[in-house]
Order: sequence, then structure tokens, then C-alpha cells
Amino acid sequence: MREHQNLLSGGLSRVRHNKRYIFWFYVLNVALAWFGAGAFNNQVHQILDHSLLADRLVNGFDLSVLYEMFGRPEFGPTLASAAPAMHFAFLFLLLTALFLPGVLQGYASTYRLPREDFFRACGRNLWRFLRLMIVAGVVMAAVAAALLGIRSALLKAAEESTNELLPFSVSMATLLVIFLIMTALRIWFDLAQTDVVLSDQPAVGRSIGAGFRHTWRSLGRLLGSYVVSTIVAAIVLVAGLWAWMKLVPPASVFGAAVVSQLTLLLLLIPRFWQRGVAVTYYLQNMVEPIGVQSFTPVSVVAPAKEPLTATVTAPPETQAS
Amino acid sequence: MKLRWVIVFLPVISVIAISIAVREHAARATAPQVTGKTTSLIKNINDRVPAPSNGAGDLAIPDTTLAINSATRMSQRVVHYEINAKYDASTHVVDASEVLTYHNLTGQALDHFPFHLYQNAFQPNSTFVREAKVADSHDTTYEEWDADDYGSEEIKSLIVVGQGDLTAQLQYIQPDDDNKDDKTVADVHLPKPIAPGEFVQFRIAFQTKFPETQARSGWKRDFVLGGQWFPKVGVWWHGAWNCHQYHATTEFFSDFGVYDVKLTLPPFEVVGASGIKVGEVSNADNTKTLTYHGDDIHDFAWTASPRYKVKEDVFQGQMGPVQMRILMQPAHWGQAERHAKILRESLEKFENWYGPYPYKTITLVDPEPASEAGGMEYPTFITGETSWWMPAGGYEPEVVVEHEFGHQYWYGMVATNEFEDAWMDEGINSYTEVKVLDSILGKNTSIMNLAGVTEGEREEQRLGYIRVADVDPIAEKAYDYYSFSSYGGITYGKTASVLLTLEGIIGEQTMQKAMRVYFMKYRFTHPTKEDFLRTIEEVSGRDLRWYFDHAIYGSQVMDYKVSKVESYPVNWYEQKRSVFQKDDNETLYRSSVWLERKEDFVMPVEVEIKFDNGEKVREHWDGVSRWTKFEYEKKAQVVSAEIDPEHQVHIDRNDFNNSYTVGANAKPARKLENYFMFVSQWISQALAWWAV
Repeated sequence: MREHQNLLSGGLSRVRHNKRYIFWFYVLNVALAWFGAGAFNNQVHQILDHSLLADRLVNGFDLSVLYEMFGRPEFGPTLASAAPAMHFAFLFLLLTALFLPGVLQGYASTYRLPREDFFRACGRNLWRFLRLMIVAGVVMAAVAAALLGIRSALLKAAEESTNELLPFSVSMATLLVIFLIMTALRIWFDLAQTDVVLSDQPAVGRSIGAGFRHTWRSLGRLLGSYVVSTIVAAIVLVAGLWAWMKLVPPASVFGAAVVSQLTLLLLLIPRFWQRGVAVTYYLQNMVEPIGVQSFTPVSVVAPAKEPLTATVTAPPETQAS
Repeated sequence: MKLRWVIVFLPVISVIAISIAVREHAARATAPQVTGKTTSLIKNINDRVPAPSNGAGDLAIPDTTLAINSATRMSQRVVHYEINAKYDASTHVVDASEVLTYHNLTGQALDHFPFHLYQNAFQPNSTFVREAKVADSHDTTYEEWDADDYGSEEIKSLIVVGQGDLTAQLQYIQPDDDNKDDKTVADVHLPKPIAPGEFVQFRIAFQTKFPETQARSGWKRDFVLGGQWFPKVGVWWHGAWNCHQYHATTEFFSDFGVYDVKLTLPPFEVVGASGIKVGEVSNADNTKTLTYHGDDIHDFAWTASPRYKVKEDVFQGQMGPVQMRILMQPAHWGQAERHAKILRESLEKFENWYGPYPYKTITLVDPEPASEAGGMEYPTFITGETSWWMPAGGYEPEVVVEHEFGHQYWYGMVATNEFEDAWMDEGINSYTEVKVLDSILGKNTSIMNLAGVTEGEREEQRLGYIRVADVDPIAEKAYDYYSFSSYGGITYGKTASVLLTLEGIIGEQTMQKAMRVYFMKYRFTHPTKEDFLRTIEEVSGRDLRWYFDHAIYGSQVMDYKVSKVESYPVNWYEQKRSVFQKDDNETLYRSSVWLERKEDFVMPVEVEIKFDNGEKVREHWDGVSRWTKFEYEKKAQVVSAEIDPEHQVHIDRNDFNNSYTVGANAKPARKLENYFMFVSQWISQALAWWAV
């Protein structure tokens, strides 16, 4: 239990000392979503801005007005407005992969990582991360497909039951199992990513192997930490939606924007927390020890009040890379 | 054991445990086996029914009033069905004998009789399945449809009292199409015609095999809904037999009469049925036989499941007490009172607005989940629709129960032809559904009022219509619509919207009075569309043909638009004001408002023009020309113009362009933008969470 706390508190401490990363990722998230929403915004303004009917969306939320708007020919196919948002969501994913090495480097650093070092880490690890993403994608997709197949078969069997709650119970139970397994896989590749960056490992296969070994070795600690942070994310989401519904007046667009964006900002924290946990774990367990060198006292020719002696101890764990 | 092994084994153990649980429940779900050998009723048919007489002169339709709160019969009784049926829960097969006494009130001799054999619709080459497969109109995935799931209805023998065994004379006919594989109508020619006023008695042995629920009939797990399960004679209507094939979009049509039905089932079944229960006996072969009686009804349905939980209540109706019997799924038991409440409220509204409910019972069935048995009406018997998780502000159970109860009036008693005039039961019922639910649950919240999100019935009906507005007229045979969505959107949605708009034309009170007169005048009959339309004209004292021609008989579409609004200073050429200069309220403006009729439905409309000094002006436009313009010279500018400011027109295809505000109000769009942004940002984050 103490170890869990160490991982969680260690990870959180890294997040706390590098809050700027969350802020910049949030800015990136908002900016890309804004671009992605452009088509939708144009369409809704065109239909709603000069119509009195649209008032029914302000004081409350009349679903029929929304349905009618979606059905208007001038709104166009829903896909036309949703597709750009999906494209920008994918771009956010790629940019996350691009900037993540810098974040990991920053989390491992005991000092504020200079901008140059941040981007150097990003550039140096970009191709490695893409390779890791591909491998992770294949593994996770294969496992997810198999698990979903099993889930589907179980649900089909459950639907034959006269107990109406059984399909729901099976659905929830299998989703929980799938979540745990997929989280374990995520831990594996998080550790591999951390190893790639902090060990400056060009052979991603070795990092994948190391990630797997350590995930296996410390599955309980790591999974516990990841599950806790995911639960925190779920609580943040539910609390945010609750505040949005209960505390913000229906007509307050500004209030809704503040609460929703604050929720999204806070939602970024748990994932960065997990990254912090991975870095903490790496530094505690995966870093290759560097041999301690003893220096012979050096006599200084120049006169001095006191003889100079220097001993270099093992570097702080963050310098291991 | 180390923690990691526990974690690895946990999912495996979970999967195994879930599998075992599922298998156990699935095993329990198989239909209970009836012990003992099922006796063939067909063999013994002649032992069970009265011996045939040489003539039909001593036959009659019973004059009973056991099942109604009336001392005298309420309908002109044409048929008397006596059915003795045995249901095998393991094979979903009914073996039965049927004695049908028919009173020839047609005024002419009848030499042939057509019978509906509806369960034959559930076979691969039937007209029903052909249409349903193409239209994708039912939930059934026909590609996964097994032979075991097919339905069938076979007449084993048919004896006409005084005329002998005519089984060999039976032949399948297809009055609606050339599909020779369709066996949903069988016709028999009689050697001796039945004279006007005479009776004829058919003694039929039949076997019905229910399909896995299709079109609100059949079995699911250990549940069964016995709807359209026995050979039913057609209706002599307007000088000919009206006995259509079963189509994917059609329902039913039959004559009023008396039903005496014996159902023999396994002893553990909880049963609900049309009419009232008049007897129950346990049999030596470990079955029980329940006897039901119905007066002045035109169909008989029943249901059985070992797991129903029963709630009973009494509603004090205007003609006497009505026994409410509610059969709930165990997982929905917490919603029993909710079902009872909406049923009570619907009874009360219908009695107060349209007329008394004369039957002694109403049975509400909460059918097996994931079956195609929800949302169906039979005389004194309806099915609802809900799920184990139904939040208080989601009104699906209320909407379904109210709708199906409404059919007790618009189908059950005012028994229109559902094959040819589907709008007269589904559409009129959708209109009264809007009225009743609006009054109970609120005008804009009668479908949903959940977490600040609302939706009303009348808008729901209109939305159903505007998607298919220009495809079909209302006055169309149910099986002749362009598509299944057209059938639904026009029959239900357009009719409700047209009648709501009519309410705006003749007044709400007049419309309610017209509906009451229509119900009281035509209950227990088969009225036509003109009977209905004429009643409205008579009660309102207005010639409404201009409206009916467009709205009922035509497929014209309405779309009025405020196309342009302009205001400018009359002396615009004299001075140019700075944008920062405040208006002195003395400037004279010339304002113009253009209205446009974009489609071909012509109807007079009201327009309200608002000025920036708070003044409102009402205008009337007959809508005959394609556009019109209203002009004003005032010391005020127009801020907005709105067509139909009282929101009485429900058939306008585009409500957004019915108004125009000079200044843009970006708030509604910004609200939606905010939702869109939130969702897309959250999806981005979730994607990055798992994929990177």
C-alpha cells in the first residue's frame, strides 16, 4: 500500500511541478476543437441567429428544435459538420505523440526543463514514438477485438435469460474486465515510452520488452495507481457535468463554457498523473545504475586556505539518462 | 499468491463466472415443459362443440352483457366466436377448435366467406415478409431467421353447419397482389348461399404455430402474446368483402360480436386476455383451463408468462367500475404504480373529453423485454413498453400506455378499417395522444423532461411528418405508402399535426366537441373518412373542404417564410448619422416586411410585426399569392416579424424561417457550439488517453 502511495504521490508531485504542460496541452485541445467546430458553427449560426424559434434552446433545451435543425437541408449531412472535428481530434492525438517525449523528459528532470531540451526530446523520439504507437495499436486492437468478441458472445447468451438485468450486469462486468486488461496494456506501453525517452533507447523493441517485464513484475502496484487516477477522472467528469446541469442557469452560455472548459482542463490531469506514475516507477525500478566513481583527492598547486577534495556521488536518479 | 497472479486470474475467473451465470439463466429461460402428452383437440372437435343441426334457423348471437357496464348490447353483433384452445408452451403451438356463428346483416345473400389467417404472414415468401424485408420495417433480421421462428396458421377442417365439410373448398386468395405464396387469406364457397338476416355457423379445427415475436405476436423466451391467432372472418363493407392480405404496414379490421374463449395452458402460467375471466379449472393432465368472455369486441388476444407480477386496481368509470389488471415484468415491478397512474389518467381524460369507456376491464401487459410485443392494442387489452431503467423524466412508458389505451376508442370502439384508413386509428389516436399527454405531462415536456432537456409530443409528431412531407397523402391505403417511414410519418405524424392545425382554425373547444360527437355517433361501427370529416364540418358549422383537400386528400406541403425585413429613415438622403449617435426617437422610418409562400399548401396565416418602440402589429395574409409585402412608416424600426405567432400551425415544414429578427441573436448557436466543443474535446482527450 505504501508503495502505491509512493507511485501515486510521486507521479502527482511531478505533475504539480510541471503544470505548464497540462496548460499547453489544454490550449492545444481547445484550439484544435475550435478549428474542428468551424463547420458546425457556421451551419448553426446560419439557421438559428435570426429565428425566434431558436429561443427555445436558450431557456432550457428543447430537443425538438435541435432535431428540426439537423433535418434542415441547409444544415447538410451531420457527417459534414462532425468530420472536421474528428480530423482535428486525430491531429490532437498525433501532436500528443509528438510532444509527449518532452513531457516525460520534463517529469524526469529535477529542474525546469529548458524549452530547447523539451523540443529536442520531442524531435529525437518522434519516430520511436510512432513505431511504439503502431506496435501498441496492433497489440491493443487485437486484444480489444478478442475481448469484445468474448463480450459479445456472453451478451448474446445473457440476452436469452429471463433475468432482464443479466445482460446489463454482464455488460458492466465485461466492460470492467476489458478496462482492467486494456489498462494493463496501456501501462506496458507507457513504461516502454518512458524507457525510450529516458534511456534514449533507439531500439524500441528493447523498451517494449522492458515495459512488459516491469508491468508483469509490478502489475498490482501499477494497475492500482492507474485505476485510482482513472477513478479520479471519472469523478471529475461526473462532478463537472453535475455542476453544469445544476449550478449553471440554462441561459448562461458563458457560465456553461467556463464550467465545461474547466472540467476538460481538469480531465487532462489524471492522464498526466499516470505519466508521472510511469516516470516515477521508471526512476525507482527501471533505470540502469551508473557505477559510482571515486576521485582521488587532487592537490592544488595554487595556494589555498583549505585543501580541495571532491567526491562525486551517484547522480540524482533523474540524471540517469 | 502474488498480487500479479491474482490480477491475471481475476479476469479469467470473472469470465468463467459470468459464463456460468449466463448459462444457468439461459437454461432457466427455456420454455417450461408441459408434463403429459398434449391431447389433440382437432381429433375431438366434434365432441366439444354443439352437434350440427340440419338447418341454421336455431342459431343466434348471444345477447350477453357480462363484460360491459351496460344493460343492453352496444354493438350490432355480427359474429360469435367460441374457441377452445390448448397452448403447448414448449412448441409454441396452439391446437384449437373454433365455432363461428355469423349473422348476415349485409342485406344480400352471401355465397362465400373469406378468412384471415394472419400467422401465415410469418413465412419467407409471404407478402408481409417480402415487404418487411425490403422496407426494413420490423426489428427482425431476416438473414438470421430460422425455420423454427416461422409462424403458421392452418385450418385442419372446416364444417359449415347444414352444408357439410367444406375443407376441400378452401382456397388461398390474394386480393391485394399477385403473390401466390401468400396464405394470409383463405376463402370458402358455400354450396347454399346464406340469405339476408340468416345465420351461418362454421366449425373449424385449426393449428397455429407462433413465431418468435413478430409484429406484436408470438413468443419470446417463456412469454407468449397470442394476437391474430385464430381464423377470423372478413368484414362485409360497402357492398363487398373486405379481407386484405396481411402487409408489413397494415393492421386489422373485423366485425363486432361476442367472444367465448377457453385457454388451456400449463398451470404455472400467469395469463391476461381480452374480456373478463369467467372460469378457471385445473385439469388432470397438469394443465389449467381459463374461460374468457367478451361482449361488443372485434378481436381477442391473450398473453401468458410464468413470471408476470399482477397489479389490480379499479377505476370508477362513467358507466361503472373498470377493473384495471396490470401484468408487469418482475424487473419492472417498481414501475407498476406508474403504469396504473397513466392508465387511470388516460381513462379519465378520454371519458371526460370523448365519451364513456363501457367495458368492465382493461388489461395492460408489460411484455417480455427485447420482444416485438410492446406497444400494441387489442380490445380491452394493450401492451406497454418500458425497461428496467426508466428515469422519472423519461416518459416512454406513459406515452406508450396512453397511445395504446387511446386505441380502445380509435380502433376498439370506433372500428375503422386499419388496412385502408390507417390514419383514422393511428392518426386520430396520435392527435388525442398529444392532447391527453400535454394535459398530464405538460405541453413541451410530454415526452421528456430530464436534466433540463425537454421534448413535447406535438413537436415529436410534427418532426415525424416533416421528414416525409411531400411523399404521400394521408388518405392512402396503409400498404400503398411509398415507404415504411412515409407510412409512419404521414399516418401518425401528419394526421396529428393536421388535426392540431385544424384546432387552430375552428377552435380548441369546437374540435373537442367534434371529436366527442364523432365518437358517440360512430362507436361500435366502421366509419369512413368522410364520416369523420363531415362530423367536423357539421359541428364547426364551417366548410373546411379547402383544408381537407390539401391536408387529407393531397400531398401539398406548407412552408411560409419571412423572407426579408428592412427599415430605413425616410429622409435618408438628408443626413448621415454616426453609428455612435443615439436615436432621438423622432426619425421617421420606412419599413417593409416580405412574406413568401415557398410551397403549394395555401392557407391564411397571421403575422406579428414588432417595432423597437414596443409596438406590435398583427396582419392577416390569405397566402394565395406566392409572396406579399407589408409596409409601414413609423418613428420606429422593425425588430422582428413572425408568421403564426400563436403557434397554431403545426404542418409548416420549416419553423425556423417563420420568423426573422433584424438583430442576430447568437446565444442559441453559441450554446450549441459549447456542447459541440465539449464533446469533440472530450473525444480528443479520450482518443489520446488510450492511443498514445
